[in-house]
Amino acid sequence: MSSDYLTNQVRRLRFEHGQMTQQQLADKVGVTRQTIIAIESGKYAPSLPLAFKLARTFDVPIEQVFQYDEQET
Amino acid sequence: MNRLQKKAWINLAAITACVVLTGMCLGILVYINARGFDSLLVGLVPGLVAGLVFYVRSVSEEAKLDEREKTIARKSFVWACYTLTLFWACASFGIFFVAGGKSVVPAYTLPVVFLAGLFLAQFVESAAILIQFARETADE
Repeated sequence: MSSDYLTNQVRRLRFEHGQMTQQQLADKVGVTRQTIIAIESGKYAPSLPLAFKLARTFDVPIEQVFQYDEQET
Repeated sequence: MNRLQKKAWINLAAITACVVLTGMCLGILVYINARGFDSLLVGLVPGLVAGLVFYVRSVSEEAKLDEREKTIARKSFVWACYTLTLFWACASFGIFFVAGGKSVVPAYTLPVVFLAGLFLAQFVESAAILIQFARETADE
């Protein structure tokens, strides 16, 4: 379930969007706060629909939220 | 603690209660040498009803989980299935190897092996859920 080569900017984007809390973000995308914590810490790679929901919540392209390092594969 | 963790803890408690209750019922049945479907059913009713209640509950609660929790639940279910298969295989062949091919085993051995497998699978499923959540929390 962990995502070794997938990094994300969810934490930074939350703070840039009015210090949004993990719970507020979780409510907006329809998951639990623990799932947001797991995504931020890189322990869980979200599904594509959830990744798009997160990107749309922050109003940025998905590439700005998630980055995949191909060199490490 | 989220819904899935609560469910796992409740399941663990319920399994323990079921094992004690069903074990006592089965012990009494064996002691009085009961036979026939009715006596077996009456003796195992508490365990069967509890199992059915928890099965229905777990199916209805599955819809409330988010995608990560569903992944954890699915993975735990797979572990439980592996455990169940392995246990039944070991128990079946174990009796053959230990007792010998022409030996006779008591009739209660079969329901004991069957029920023990079910309880073990439930235990592994609940424990796997709790372990996966604990591992995530430990790394934070």
